[in-house]
Parts: sequence; structure tokens; C-alpha cells
Amino acid sequence: MNTTLIAIIFVIVAPVLGGLIYGIERKIKARMQQRIGPPILQPFYDFFKLAQKRTFIVHSTHAFLGIMHFVSLWFALAVLIFGGDFILVIYLHLLSTALLIIAGYSTRSVFSHLGANRLAITALAYEPVLILIAVSLYMVTGSFNISSISTLEEPLIVKMPLAFVALLLVLPIKLKKSPFDIAEAHQEITGGAEIEYSGIFFEFLYTAKWLDYIFAYALVYLFVASNFFLAITVLILTFLFINALDNSTARVDYKQMLKFIFWTALPAALLNLLWVTL
Amino acid sequence: MELKLYRKKSPWILHYNAGSCNGCDIEILACLSPKYDVERFGMINTGNPKQSDILLITGPVTKRSRERLVEIYSQMPEPKVVICCGSCASTGGVFRDMYNIEGGVDQVIPVDVYVPGCACRPEQIIDGVVAALEILEKKTKAIEKPLRYANEVKDENDQINRRTMPGTIPTK
Amino acid sequence: MNWLFYSLFLFPLLVSGLILLFPKRINQGLIIATALILSTISLYLYGSVKEAVSIQVPELVNFLVAGIDILLLLYFGYVAIKHRHLLVGILSILQLAGAIYVLTIAPHHSTAQFYIDRLSLMMFLLINIVSGVIAVFAIRYIDEENCSEYKKKFFLSVIMWFIGVMNMIVSADNLEYFFLFFELTTLASFLLIGFRNDETSVRNALNALWMNQIGGLAILGAIVYAIFTPEYEQLTFSGLLSNVSNTGLLLPFALLAVAALIKGAQMPFSSWLLGAMVAPTPVSALLHSSTMVKIAPFVILRISPAIKDTNVATVIMLLTGFVFLVAAISALSQDTFKRILAYSTISLLGLMCMLAAAGTETAIMAALMLVIFHGISKCMLFLNAGIIEHVYHYKQTSQMDRLGELGPFTALAVAIGFMSLLLPPFGGFIGKWFSIESIGSSLPTFKLTGALIIAAIAIGGAVMALLYFKVTGVLFSRSGEQEVIRFEKTHPLYQSSIYILLFLIIGGMLALPVLLPSFFAPIASTITQVSISSVFKGGSLYINNLSLPIIPMLIAFLVLPVTIILSLFIHFKGVDRVKEYTCGEKVDYRFSSLYFSTEKAMPFYIVVGGIFFVALVFVGGML
Repeated sequence: MNTTLIAIIFVIVAPVLGGLIYGIERKIKARMQQRIGPPILQPFYDFFKLAQKRTFIVHSTHAFLGIMHFVSLWFALAVLIFGGDFILVIYLHLLSTALLIIAGYSTRSVFSHLGANRLAITALAYEPVLILIAVSLYMVTGSFNISSISTLEEPLIVKMPLAFVALLLVLPIKLKKSPFDIAEAHQEITGGAEIEYSGIFFEFLYTAKWLDYIFAYALVYLFVASNFFLAITVLILTFLFINALDNSTARVDYKQMLKFIFWTALPAALLNLLWVTL
Repeated sequence: MELKLYRKKSPWILHYNAGSCNGCDIEILACLSPKYDVERFGMINTGNPKQSDILLITGPVTKRSRERLVEIYSQMPEPKVVICCGSCASTGGVFRDMYNIEGGVDQVIPVDVYVPGCACRPEQIIDGVVAALEILEKKTKAIEKPLRYANEVKDENDQINRRTMPGTIPTK
Repeated sequence: MNWLFYSLFLFPLLVSGLILLFPKRINQGLIIATALILSTISLYLYGSVKEAVSIQVPELVNFLVAGIDILLLLYFGYVAIKHRHLLVGILSILQLAGAIYVLTIAPHHSTAQFYIDRLSLMMFLLINIVSGVIAVFAIRYIDEENCSEYKKKFFLSVIMWFIGVMNMIVSADNLEYFFLFFELTTLASFLLIGFRNDETSVRNALNALWMNQIGGLAILGAIVYAIFTPEYEQLTFSGLLSNVSNTGLLLPFALLAVAALIKGAQMPFSSWLLGAMVAPTPVSALLHSSTMVKIAPFVILRISPAIKDTNVATVIMLLTGFVFLVAAISALSQDTFKRILAYSTISLLGLMCMLAAAGTETAIMAALMLVIFHGISKCMLFLNAGIIEHVYHYKQTSQMDRLGELGPFTALAVAIGFMSLLLPPFGGFIGKWFSIESIGSSLPTFKLTGALIIAAIAIGGAVMALLYFKVTGVLFSRSGEQEVIRFEKTHPLYQSSIYILLFLIIGGMLALPVLLPSFFAPIASTITQVSISSVFKGGSLYINNLSLPIIPMLIAFLVLPVTIILSLFIHFKGVDRVKEYTCGEKVDYRFSSLYFSTEKAMPFYIVVGGIFFVALVFVGGML
């Protein structure tokens, strides 16, 4: 009962937590570039500011799909946190991405379409890796349920080091970080699928980005769940790694990204699967 | 509303080059560099009018870029402020009265802050943005039209002198 | 009871004869009535028949079958001479020789020729209901076609006849009968693909003919081999299945699988199904959804107890896994709407056959789910493709960017059709989900094969997601000017058939928690002979070791189909409308999508597929 309560609270505060992570990240990134950087609460200032802008929409379908993207992402996150079926979580996440992709296509906007195309490509890059990780998880724990991790004595990373490496390689795609931030690419296609949103409606997409942080780091947490100190260390190191990577690399194009993922992350995940199987 | 406070804390910027020689553009980008680091005020260079609060314009408005400027301005949600960066954007500068130039930005859309200089220095731009934030706080959600004021007094060169108009620049 | 089965077999044949005689007006009513009657019979049979039924037909029918066999093969020979097609000619001579040889040496036991178990009953449901809808749709579609009145009647007649043959093939037990019906479906596809009678149609029809003739030869090979193996007493599916443990001989099954996979258009035999696009759309719908290609998963499901955990199954799984992946990749380079659908059919058929060959209880269930839900969804997609072609005159997806404005209902139906194959909570998704989990949970037995297949499913699934998003995106694209959406009105026959299929998709999805334990589980347990446990516990439905959580599924239902439909009708008030951001330019922009050129790899796929086919026969012969 206690764990359920914690899970419920965690799901409810997830957007706030994600906002905090985003704030810390901006600060750390600035410090890495020897800048002072915005305050840690900056994402929330943005949030409140956006709430009182005049709102523009292109048409209602587009605006509504944006809202539902946020709702379905939150829902996928909830299933993840409650320890649901891993494959289901992956597909629910795909569903939320699908709504954003359709929203991107639903206007006659160049950048929106480009962003939607690229979002679909990024989904192609990371989804197979996640599924292979899920199957490896089954081979280790004997269940597709994420909650089965709690039965393990040693952390998952010991059994699945290569899968963890694969996850680290696809995380920048998930979080839209350089070198794989092709879906958002602010300097190139000015935000991609989210470009036509403004005011209140943009807020849903902005907050969905925070939820994505929680989703991504929750996936990392799965690998180290059993040991608290290890978990904290690995999460912080992952966080630093992703930001250092973001700061030190330039954006690749989608073909390079696909090639890279299919020649590194995917074989790594597959090797890990073979290792735990044979 | 308490929320108005947060307008000041997260100004998102859209940068538009209306026909500049790129001198001012480089200075604007310099603001983002570690030395000046405008991100510490929460500024982001969004590049998307629909999500920005401040329109930073460089260069005189050429006849070609005028419609684009008006279009982009009208796609920015209120409350919004417009900053002219550099002499050309403020008055037309050395390009004033040229056959392909409309004049300063204020000939086309209402301007809130003028930043002088050729090119304007990053410190000046930051100062201008801070001044613009004061104005942003006072603004409302009412629609601002990007039209040339029909009944305004024009000078001998068919230019509106908005600096003499009362109320366009906040009196400190 | 038997007369009901006979009516399923013979009534469509009778109607197909009558259609040729009656005038157009009567035909309309006749076809609708037939579709209704056949659906009712199949539903009633599913409800009332609990035990497997064997039907023995009179001795006379055996002679009739032999006669039709010879006539049919002679007709193929005639076709070869008429069109001067060497390959068809050689294959018909080989087939004719084989068929006569089999007829002369086959031992005549008085065994049952038809065997109807739950699997056949399920196929009856799929064939009669879905094909019935297609037949009704075809009435109007063929009316808009530019050809003579007699040809229109002939078209409808062949469709009805096809339904009858399909009903027979899924209940045939005797291999000689099975061979005849197999060849009859080949004939039907040949006639339907060549319907327009222009150069491409004829070429593609002949292509389909010779490829399927190889399948026929494979069946003949299986029969001959079984005759010369004394352990196989009877030339029936049930005889082969019950005796396989004594002999350990797998070649007949490998050959039957080859025949099935050719019908299922697996590479390298994929080009016949792609060529079928030249025919009027109801033909594609018929071939792709409920009839022709579904013979592949059906046959493999039938023989799956025999080939389970053998090398034959391993080769089939590797082949179909490969096809699942590469067909999805090939589809990315296509722009023609029907070709995209065709490649996705080939790909999903690969998945179904793979699961059927895997043979575990949950894998079989997943295969059954995919057979049913893919049939319904693909049928709806093809019928919509027909509507798009005839009403809006679009064939390429890149042209269809206006469809969201002109025909929002058609666009919505296509979008739901694609989503239902991919995303939760639809049946197609549940099938895919079960497939990953069932192959995953039997990894300890499949080892390397299983891991490779999982990778193929994962990548293929993602590629297919990219493909579907690409197409769905076009359908949703519309400008901001059109704020209020009104569904368009098409012809009532068109509309009613789409409504029925939409109802089946959404109803099937909502009823899934009930259907899984009460519909799919019993069928799967009749195939595997192992009872499948299904219990509700703590808001989840447990099927063996897999669990289907109900609450997430319900919320996913609210999120996906409801959202998509609602998004078209919702209207935000008090919000400003603004134009799309185009850097301030005024451009007439419509649609952009990524295009991939993956066609170059096609010869490679064909070679690899061919190697797999040879390996399948070889492995079957080795054991």
C-alpha cells in the first residue's frame, strides 16, 4: 500500500520534478560553457509567463492533439512508474509520440512537417533498442513487468551492461539532445513539430518535455534500482554524460543518426540479449 | 496579477534581420556568448514568433522585407515588445532615403525601444532589453496592430517621426 | 448440421451461377442477401458446433474432384498456349503429370474428406463476413468501372465463387481435395487479376499463375511423398498430423509450408501479390484481407503441432522474420497507396506465419488475433483505397494531401485502419505485443533463432510505424481556414460497408478482454491440444504467463481512437486563429514527407528469400 501511495505521489509531481531537472540541466550546461546560466527555477518562470500570453492556434485539431500528447505521455509514465508491462510502456510512449507526429502533420506548415518526419525517424531509431532491452529484462527476471525488478538481488546493470550502454546511446535521441536533436533542431527547423503552438497550448508541449526527462531517467533507474547509492551515482553520472555530450557535439543528420544507432546501440542490445539467453 | 512578474523573468527573443549589414546581428549573437550570457536573465533565442515576447530587429526595412516583418510581427502573441537594434533599424541610418528602403522599423510596426549605435554594442542591447522588459510588464493582452498610422504627422521625407509622438517611449 | 456446411460450400457457387443469369437489379439484392445469409450461417455454426466435425462425401464426388482437377490443369495449359507463356506451360504439364500420377496410385480409403474444427469455424467467420462486405462494396465499385455489363456480372460472379472455394479450402482434410481447392483459388486470382485485360493485367495475372502453380506442385510433392511412406495411412491433414510422431518425416509438411508461403506471397514470391494491384480494388481487398493470402497462416497453423520445435519451424521462422523486416523496409520507398498496403500485408503475413510456426500456445493466439484483426483492418483500408481512387481520383499518397479537407470521413477511416495495425489498444497491436512477449518468453527454447526474430520484429515494427505515420500524416494535413469539419456523403453501399468494418474494428477492440479467453484461447487450444489458462486477477487478464492489464487498455482507448475522432470535432472558442509560420513568406505549401529509396536491395531480398525456400525443402528432406 505504501509503495502504491509513493507511486501515485511520484506520478503527480513528475512534471514538477521534470521541470526542476530541466532547470538544473540548463544551469549545468551553462556552467560547462563557463556561463552563469539561468536560475534553476527558470522553466517555471517560463511556464507562468506562457500562461498569460495571448493564445494563437492554427486550428482546433492541431491544438487538441498537442494537449493529448501531454496527457498520453503522462499516462505512459504512470504505467512505467507503477511497474506495468515494459512492452506496453514502450508502445504507450510510441502512442504519445504518434499523437505529436499527427499534430505536426495536421497543419500546412513546413517546419511542422519536417519536425514530424524527423520525430518518426527518431522513433524508428530508439524503439527497437528499447524493445530488445525489454526482452533482455524478461530473460533476467522472468517477467515483462517492470515491478519484477524489485525481486532482483543485484542491480540489473551487472547482468545487462551492454544494454545499459545501448540505452545511454539512445537517451540523447529521446531527450532531443545533441548530436541527435534532429527532431527539435532549434537553429535548423525552429523546434519542429512544436512550432505552431503558442501560449497555453505550447505549455502542454513544454511540460511534456519535462515528463520526457522523468521517463528517460526512470529507464536509467531501472538498471540500478536495487542499490540506492549506486542509483544516485549512476543517475548523476548519466546526467552529466548527456549534458557533456550535448555541449561538445554538433548535430548529425538523420541518416548518420540511424546508421550510428543501427551499428552500435542495436548490436549492443542484441549481444546483451544473446548473452543473457545463451 | 502576480503572474505579470514572471514576464520579466523569461523574455524569449525573436531576432529578425530586415536588411542589415550583419554588424548588429553579430553583436546580438555575442550577447549569447559566455562573456555577456543573456541566458542568465532567462532569455532564449527561439527563432519562432509564436513563442516569443521580444522582437529584436536589425537593419533598415527594405521594401522586400517589409511584408515579412509585418507578417512575423502579427504572428507574435501579445504582450510583446519591439526593439530596434542599431541606427539603421531605428532611423534608416546611412540607408535612409534610398530607393529600396522604407526607412526605420517604426515606419512599419510600432517600436518600443530604440538601441542606437553602428553597430550597437552588446551592453547596449542588454540595456535595451532590460528597458523593454519594463515596458513588457505594463502591456496588456490587447491586440497591437502593425499598421502605419494614417493620420500621423509626416515629415518632408514622407517618414513618421514617432519619437515626437507622446506615449510611444515610456517617460522615465 | 451437415447441410449447413454444404450450404456454406455450395450456396456461393449457386449464387455465382445465378448472377450471370439475372439482370443487374436483382443481382444487387441477391448479393446483399447472400452476404447476410453466409455471415449468419458462419456465426450460427461458430456458436453451435462445439466438437470437430468430419464430413464424408459420397464416392461420386471423388470422381468429380478428379475430373475438375484434370479440366483445370488443362485450362492452365490452354492459358499457357494462348499467352505463349513457357513457364506456365511447363508447370501445367508437370502438374498435370503429377495429378494423373497421384490419381492413379493414390490408395482409396473411405475416409472423411472434410474436417471442420474451431480453426475452420474461425476462418468461416472471417471469410464470410469480411468477404461479404467486400462483395457488397464491389456491386457499386464495379458499376463505376468502364467495361461491358456481362463483364461486370462475371466479376461479381467470380467473387462469390471465390468465397465458396475459400470456405471449402479451410475445411478440406483430404490432400487431393486441398490440392484442387488450392488450384481453384489460383484460378480465381488469375481471372480477377487479369480482369482489365490490358497488357500489365495479363502479365501480372500470368505471374501470379506460375508462382501459385509452384505451390500446387509442392502440394503434389507432399502427396506423392506421403503415398510412398507406409506410416501415413491416409492422405489427410489429420492423418499426417496424427502419424508424424511415428515417422518423424517432415518433408510433406515442409512442402505444404512451401505451398502456403507462396500463397502468402513471402519473398521471393512476393511479386504476384504486388502485381495484383492492377485489378479493381475489391480484388485486392479480397486477396489481401480475408481470402487468398490467409491460406498461408491457416495451413501453417494446421501443421504447427507437427513442425513445432523442429528445424523446419526454425527455417520458416527465420524466413518469415526476414520477410517481416524487409517487406516493411521496401514499403518505405513506395508512394502508391495500394502498394504500401500490399507490402504491409506481406510483412504482417510473415509475422503471422512466424507465430504459427513458433507453435507455443500464446504465439498461436497472437497469430489468430493477427489473422482476424489484420483481415478486418486491411479490408477496410483497401475498400477506402477504392473509394479514394473512384471518388477522389487519387492513387499516390503524396497527392492525397487534400483528402483531409475533401473527404474527412475517408481520411479518418484510413487513419484508424493504420492505427489499428500498430498502436494500443487495437487488436492488431495486442497481436504484435503478444508476439513479442510469446517469442520472448520462449527464448530459452529458441535461443539464437528467437533472439534474431525478436530483433527482426522490433526493427520491422518500428519501420512499419514510420511507414504508417508517413501515410497517416498526409491524411490529417489541412489548412487552418477549414475549422468546421463535415463528414462527406459517399454512395450508401460504400458508406455502409466502411461503417460495418469500422464497427468490427472498434467493437473487436472493446470486446477483446472477452474475446481473448472465450474466442481465441479455445481455438488455440484446439490447435495445440494444450488447454490454455485464462484468469482475471487484479484488473489484469492472465493468459498462461502473459498478462493483459485492462485499465491501461481502457485509458489507451480513450487516448487514441476517441482523441482522434474528437480532435476533428472539437472547437476552441475565444482563441485567436493565426496562419502557419513560414518565415513571413506567403507560400502555397501543401505537404512534405521523407522518401526513401530502398528498391535497390530488392534483388538481394529475392535471393535470400529463395535460399530460405530451398533450405526449407532441404531441411524437411534431411529429417
